Amino acid sequence: MSDLIPVTVLTGFLGAGKTTLLNRILTEDHGRRYAVVINEFGELGVDNDLVVDADEEVFEMNNGCICCTVRGDLIRILGALMKRAKKFDGIIVETTGLANPAPVAQTFFVDESVRAKTRLDAIVTVVDAKNLPARLADSAEAAAQIAFADVIVLNKLDLVTEEEADAVEARILAINPLARIMRATRADVPVTEILHQNAFDLNRILQFDPDFLDQESHGHTEGVYSISIEAARPIVMQKFQEWMGTLLQEKGQDLLRTKGILNVSGESRRFAFQAVHMMADGDYIGPAPEGDTRASRLVFIGRDLNRPQLRRGFEACQVPA
Amino acid sequence: MNLAAPAAGVLATRGTVRELGAHVTGICFDRAGTQAAFALGDGTVHLAEVTGPGDWPRIEAHDGAVLALSPDARDHGFVSAGDDGVLQRISAGCALSEIFSTGGKWIEQLASYAEPRAGLLACAVGKQVHLFDSQGIRLKVLAHPSTVTGLAFDAKGKRLAASHYNGASLWFTASKSDNPRLLEWKGSHIGVAIHPASDSVVTAMQENALHGWRLADGQHLRMTGYPAKTESLGFTRNGKWLASSGADAIVLWPFFGGGPLNKPPVELAPIEGVLCTRVACHPKDELVAAGYVDGTVVVAQIGAQRVVVIAEPGPAPISALAWSFDGARLAFGSEQGQAALVDLSAR
Repeated sequence: MSDLIPVTVLTGFLGAGKTTLLNRILTEDHGRRYAVVINEFGELGVDNDLVVDADEEVFEMNNGCICCTVRGDLIRILGALMKRAKKFDGIIVETTGLANPAPVAQTFFVDESVRAKTRLDAIVTVVDAKNLPARLADSAEAAAQIAFADVIVLNKLDLVTEEEADAVEARILAINPLARIMRATRADVPVTEILHQNAFDLNRILQFDPDFLDQESHGHTEGVYSISIEAARPIVMQKFQEWMGTLLQEKGQDLLRTKGILNVSGESRRFAFQAVHMMADGDYIGPAPEGDTRASRLVFIGRDLNRPQLRRGFEACQVPA
Repeated sequence: MNLAAPAAGVLATRGTVRELGAHVTGICFDRAGTQAAFALGDGTVHLAEVTGPGDWPRIEAHDGAVLALSPDARDHGFVSAGDDGVLQRISAGCALSEIFSTGGKWIEQLASYAEPRAGLLACAVGKQVHLFDSQGIRLKVLAHPSTVTGLAFDAKGKRLAASHYNGASLWFTASKSDNPRLLEWKGSHIGVAIHPASDSVVTAMQENALHGWRLADGQHLRMTGYPAKTESLGFTRNGKWLASSGADAIVLWPFFGGGPLNKPPVELAPIEGVLCTRVACHPKDELVAAGYVDGTVVVAQIGAQRVVVIAEPGPAPISALAWSFDGARLAFGSEQGQAALVDLSAR
């Protein structure tokens, strides 16, 4: 798509297998060059000039929104990495086990210098199949890390039965039905299937099995869940922007990720939309594929989602019947 | 200084141009005015004798990129730091000598102050600032609440300002107690400058704005309206103007007649839709040099609003720009390694 360097964000609780995965990315013979930004508690067994220490310094933007937090250290580090003579095929940013992935993602929405040279490729979360239920029970960050993920590596499958694995997968999907789940033991997933995903590319928004979404998420026990809504008639863009703008402003803190694809009234191309908390990005992409129903779809992943209210709001953006 | 040079062809008639092959991350002149140093993203530093075209010796200074460069605290030579975590001295004869190593943690900021008896060097390693004397003996380590993003000595070497999250810290370099004066303002501050008369401290902010503190009474000075982040800022020698990048012109804030409070900035050398990326105030006169994202370099006379184009648009954004200490020469470099040294002295 462009010569922007893809950045993959790697999250996951301590002991889930993040470090194993990182070591594989750095040592495996895949013919690509990756820089890895690790947090101060990381202990990579690799002495490598491509490994950069970061301090995970989050700050609040001065725009009155407390959910608008950004990683200032990352802005600096990515800027300095871009000055190096030997270029990279990609950059991987590891976050600490307890970190909320939102500030890393938001950094790519906020900072122009970062956007000018790099792009957020995907958020990859490594989870431990055995311990995930316990983590979900004792920590809000575990659910957030799953909610934000584009790819989930369901690791340590050797420690659970097939039934347990299926149950864990169902819980993950209840929180985030959009994530691609990859099962693994000792983080043995092909590196190429985690990196270069273009998950934040608007052209890839909602590129998944639409029938899958009909299985409404009911696993509300973690506090984070998803809702998908459809609108059959074309959308009036101005109405949608006003509604979504207000919604993200008021409810952005609870809306972890929002993705949508719209059939806009009077426009042959579809409009793709995504947001991380209150930071949104959207643009027209190619026309709908042949045979598509041309319905507009929105998916919200978050907390305290009022389904009837969201549905009414979205439906009110349609052209009058 | 007299801007008598012809408007066109300055570079061809008075300049030396080189292709250095990597992102120019820093440029400075030595204090004696005999050499200019160009630091690059491939870890090399190139030294140019100011008097002749000659060769520019290439020094393998760092493993990785050179992230910071400064004149040494002596008359000759330079100090450089990189993402290999090494702080080192580069002599006029191209010899390297290590002052300090962090064991791999990046050194992103450097500042130096020269005086016959008491030169100082400062470098930032994460949240710490290491202060050295001109011999390279470490005097102290100063702790900050978050990573230090900018360093500046005042004109007398008495104070050192460090920018970080939520403001800046102002240290007395000779103090035994080591408690900084905290200049607070919420947000991420990404660079710092001190007024030449130490009247005020100004930082650049993530939110496309500058923030200042008048030191006498702590008055906040807000300077806003930039379309992009200010990555380069500095005061004119007489302290009347603060020059800054981050707009499609050189933005100059008046620090006289009650300014910059409630005073609009002056914009010089506007190029519509082309961001200014670097500014450098002349060390003596009311002149400011500026580099743009399209590779243009200009020198502008502030009072007369006269502008001389030094370099026409080139292949890459200007990433470094510096005057010699006597103000006779200007050097600049780009993100793709184009570099030039220009003699602007009266002939």
